[in-house]
Amino acid sequence: MSVRAGLMGQTRMARIWSRLGGASDMAVAAAALAALLLVPLTATAYGLQLATDILAAVALAYGWNLISGFTGYLSFGQVSFYGLGAYATALLVSRTLVPWYGAVLLGGLLGAAVALLLGPIMLRLRGILFALGMLGLARILGVIFNNWNFAGASLGLSLPAALTPLAVYGGMALVAAAAFACNAFFVHSGFGLDAMSLNEDEAAAVAFGVPATRVKVIAFALSAIFPALVGGLVAWNRSYIDPTSAFKPSLDLETVVFVLFGGIGTLWGPLLGAAVLMMIGEELLVYLPNFELALFGGVVILTVLVLPGGLVGLANRFGWLRRPPVLAPAALPEGAPPAPRAMPAGDVPVLEVRDLTVRFGGLLALSNVSLTLRRGEIVSIIGANGAGKTTLFNAITGFIMPSAGRIFYLGRNVTRLPTFRRARLGMARSFQIPRLMRSLTVWENVVLASRHGGQAHRAVAHTAWVLRITGLAALWREPASRLSPGHQRQLELARVLALHPALVLLDEVMAGMTQEEREGVRSVIRHLPEFGVAAVACVEHVIAAVADLSDRMVVLDFGHEIAAGPPHSVLRDPAVVRAYLGEPL
Amino acid sequence: MAPRRRSIFLRTRRAPGLVLAGAALILGMNAARAAPPIVVGTTISETGPLAADALFQLRGEQLAIAKANAAGGWLGRRIVLKYYDDKSSPGTAVRLYQRLITEDKADLLLGPYSSLVTVAIAPLINKYKMATLEPGASVPTIYVPGNKWNIQTVASSTTYLHQLLPLARKDGAKTVALLGLQSAFTLACDQARTAQAKSLGLKIVYSTTYALPQPDFSSIALAIKNARPDVVLACTYYPDAVGITRALHEQGYAPRYLGETVGPVEPAFIAALGPLANRILSNTSWWPNFKTPGNRTFIADYRKKFAGMPDYHAAAGYSAVEVLGAAVKATHSLDQGTLRKWLLEHTVQTVQGPYKVDANGRAVGATQDMVQIQNGVLKLVSPPALAQAKVLVPYTGS
Amino acid sequence: MLALQLVINGILLGGLYVLLAQSLNLIFGVMGVVNLAHGSFIVVAGLFTYWFTIRSGVSPLVVLPMAFVAMGAVGAMVQRFLIEPLMRFGNRAELLSLMVTFGLSYVLVDLALQLWGSDFVSVPYLQSSWTIAGLAFNQALVIAGIFAAAISAALYAWLNFTLSGKALLAASQSPVGAICCGIDVGRVRLVAFALGVGLAAAAGVLVIIVTPLAPETADDFTLLAFVIIALGGLGNYLGVAAAALVLGLVQSAAGYFLGGNAEYVFPYVLLLGVMVVQPQRFRRAAA
Repeated sequence: MSVRAGLMGQTRMARIWSRLGGASDMAVAAAALAALLLVPLTATAYGLQLATDILAAVALAYGWNLISGFTGYLSFGQVSFYGLGAYATALLVSRTLVPWYGAVLLGGLLGAAVALLLGPIMLRLRGILFALGMLGLARILGVIFNNWNFAGASLGLSLPAALTPLAVYGGMALVAAAAFACNAFFVHSGFGLDAMSLNEDEAAAVAFGVPATRVKVIAFALSAIFPALVGGLVAWNRSYIDPTSAFKPSLDLETVVFVLFGGIGTLWGPLLGAAVLMMIGEELLVYLPNFELALFGGVVILTVLVLPGGLVGLANRFGWLRRPPVLAPAALPEGAPPAPRAMPAGDVPVLEVRDLTVRFGGLLALSNVSLTLRRGEIVSIIGANGAGKTTLFNAITGFIMPSAGRIFYLGRNVTRLPTFRRARLGMARSFQIPRLMRSLTVWENVVLASRHGGQAHRAVAHTAWVLRITGLAALWREPASRLSPGHQRQLELARVLALHPALVLLDEVMAGMTQEEREGVRSVIRHLPEFGVAAVACVEHVIAAVADLSDRMVVLDFGHEIAAGPPHSVLRDPAVVRAYLGEPL
Repeated sequence: MAPRRRSIFLRTRRAPGLVLAGAALILGMNAARAAPPIVVGTTISETGPLAADALFQLRGEQLAIAKANAAGGWLGRRIVLKYYDDKSSPGTAVRLYQRLITEDKADLLLGPYSSLVTVAIAPLINKYKMATLEPGASVPTIYVPGNKWNIQTVASSTTYLHQLLPLARKDGAKTVALLGLQSAFTLACDQARTAQAKSLGLKIVYSTTYALPQPDFSSIALAIKNARPDVVLACTYYPDAVGITRALHEQGYAPRYLGETVGPVEPAFIAALGPLANRILSNTSWWPNFKTPGNRTFIADYRKKFAGMPDYHAAAGYSAVEVLGAAVKATHSLDQGTLRKWLLEHTVQTVQGPYKVDANGRAVGATQDMVQIQNGVLKLVSPPALAQAKVLVPYTGS
Repeated sequence: MLALQLVINGILLGGLYVLLAQSLNLIFGVMGVVNLAHGSFIVVAGLFTYWFTIRSGVSPLVVLPMAFVAMGAVGAMVQRFLIEPLMRFGNRAELLSLMVTFGLSYVLVDLALQLWGSDFVSVPYLQSSWTIAGLAFNQALVIAGIFAAAISAALYAWLNFTLSGKALLAASQSPVGAICCGIDVGRVRLVAFALGVGLAAAAGVLVIIVTPLAPETADDFTLLAFVIIALGGLGNYLGVAAAALVLGLVQSAAGYFLGGNAEYVFPYVLLLGVMVVQPQRFRRAAA
């Protein structure tokens, strides 16, 4: 075996090790596995029932973590899926010949189906309103089932008794394991990274190619399967289901407390939180029955105020249970420059904006603005504050829909195309104020964009290359929140390059920079064509910095284009001077 | 033998016998004290929405057990009531009963409070084949061939207010409005009263069900006013009984007969409604003036120990323990199968009346009687043999 | 005649809803604090009113200012020690305030359970109606409605026409900007939260006259209040008042024509319906 092969082998092992997390993760996993296997061998019937209930809580916690922890859509509606799963299982088992495991699985699928149906509608809302909507859904389902005679109405449904408690325990263990696997998938995959980026800053994520709606709906559907499965198993375990216990409000609340206490949005948080609190709760139940509610509430308050990261957050301070960066190799590879982007034949302009008009209610932000960018051009767009420059960029990238006019990119009409699709086609923008994913590392910020851009098939290598040429290689594992402002700007630029764009839109990228820093950026802009960028548009206030760089300059004033042409003539145009400095006294 | 020698013989020959007998007595007493107590296990809703009524049931059970212990216990053994708080949650109750059966090794079980929780533990009871008396579950659907180890000691909810419609019919009533809370026992009652109305030839001019919380009953009251029924019979719990009564008054309609289940018997009902409560009819399974065996003692003991009058939940708990004790004493055994057989076949007179069940464990002996609020006080108005007063009509809401 | 009575019932019910929602509107709609303990404040105040009036025999309306002040003080402490520390987390503050108030609601409900038991209780006061022209006006709801209207108008006026009210709006829209204008943002938030909780307590005093309360019902009030302000527009006083009235009207009609279940489920169906058809309504309003 050659030295190189040996090194490669070691790198692979190291890669797998780092992918799976460190020693502390192994320890927790081993302990959980040991407990899982020991319980059926040593516990009494009561212990087995308690363990089954703990596994149910763990599965519910993991399900909730998917949508509310990772993706950031706080849901109080898990009980809706729980109840649906419970009833589906109960009806199938009591009225058909479907065996219990089939009924439970079908219940889980029903939960996913309902989530897929409702997701696109409900996920348009953020924050408490999404939570409210789900809660309202649970109430409505409760009333429906209370009145549905086929399902037993208020009196509920009885099922034939479960085979053995061990079968239920086994089923619940499988569900909990599957839920854990789903969470692990989120923590280690590009899809999970997309979800986490939505949580952080949805608008910025979309600008770098993340298909927001699709990711949210899938996360929602995944998060619905597990409560449905748990509901089905519980119904089968108890041999009885009725609307009150199927749609009980306390289910969501307990789940929230467990995940919060364990560490929301983490891999081990739901397991730790559910297991610890369930066991404490059980002991409290016996010795301190009267104060359980207040203690529960107190735990929540203290956790939020003192330990918002939960148990996992606490462990992180000691360096344990840290989340490894997604899709990151053990060491930063060299990377290689990308092959040039395939461009359409002929002299099709990179960007063509025709008679673009944007209205905000009564305000006319842009009025009949036209702009064409040919290959190899660098155009700067200048104007006084409020002229509509950023609005123009927002319309070009799809953040706002124009009231009139059309936008063509590489010959294709993209006027109504969603932002993330434009990003994937190679239209990249930077933001006036850097909108980095602060909770993600530098590596993750860049690979997020690489995955959706022109180099998606070799995202890791491309990301490494981008980090090296933007001078961020040494900081690749740092969280973005710890970067200096200068490095933050560099990261913004790195993200833009990661998309392997054909068109780059830079929004006041030089604002607040020193002369040195500006030189650095100017150098990058000059080199952009080498990286496959066909055209660049800059919105700038620091006119001197872009005057000699640009092939053309366009001046906007109150939404109108008042001048366009080579920089030196535009800057002397009396209309432009008037726009900036006003009329002479 | 000469008397003197007999006396010596008595003194000397019998002495070891006396010592032996004394030793045997002391050892025997120690053995009795050392004999493990009989553990009766149960859960009760000490916290949660069901707590208010559940505590009465617990006290009744505790009182009965204390009384049994004072009388020497069962089978010469002391009785201990081991109970947990199920927090009004069926899931918690299931786990706790599991614990009582397998960890605490309870000898006997008593059911929890409320049909909701009882139904949840029924499969467990059947699995472990523990003959369990259920003082808190009135829904008749629990007591079916599949659940043969659950035995009912309170009257089914289908019997609540069953005297009202025939009484009204005899008085010339023709129309009735029926209301029902969306909950297992009230719905069972609602369905039974609906069937009864139809069989009596009464016209149902309005009926609806509703769920709690319902802060406003004015729409329902308005609809009732529109329909002008002679009788309004509502299968309620407490807050909706208050709400419906107030709403009827506010919308300005007073039916000739107003009957509501459960709610009016709560002490807070009269305080909450004042004059509006007068002449409302309700149901109860037990009343202080019942001439059932041990009733006076039960009331006196309860008031001494707990300060305040017992209610029918307490009577239900007390009766359940009475029945259980009768079964244990009669069979001299703690074997569940033996107890169950005995319980299904025999009648026991308890403070709430005769206990008797059918082959499925469903109560046939216990009855629900009718009470009416008259001048701010609840009075028993049916059955005629025990009635303290006659039914007053019409309901005027004042 | 019947239709008119239905309308009156609906409007009066709407008045109660206005009361429930406006206090939360101040805290959530304007400050962005998700107060899941809203219902528990209402219920605690209501139960305290019951306990006090039963013991002392005074009218509940006398208790109202007491409850307002006492609970306002509690609200100030909650804000100072539980909510204010969360403001440094920026855009995560909404989620965290949700969690903290959620925990607080459990603590308050448990307190209520310990002090007053789990039973439903109500106050026998104002139980009849005034009859005008053959139409019945539920007295309790009329009084509650009058208070609700007064509170809505006062809040609207305070926020839009006084300096302190505008200071609150400024602090909610841009804390940094407000500080630069010399506004003591921390104190403004304290006052607003205390006011919101005090008003919730006032609502509780009036609610217990209308309907029985028990600790377990706290969450239902919270949910209902959120539904109403979601429908009316966050931070929009007139909008919420209108939404509450419309909800009361339609719910009443639904209850009359479709029965009790329809009435119960109606607010949630309406919420989901509006969410589906017009999601853009659910943005925080400027004022």
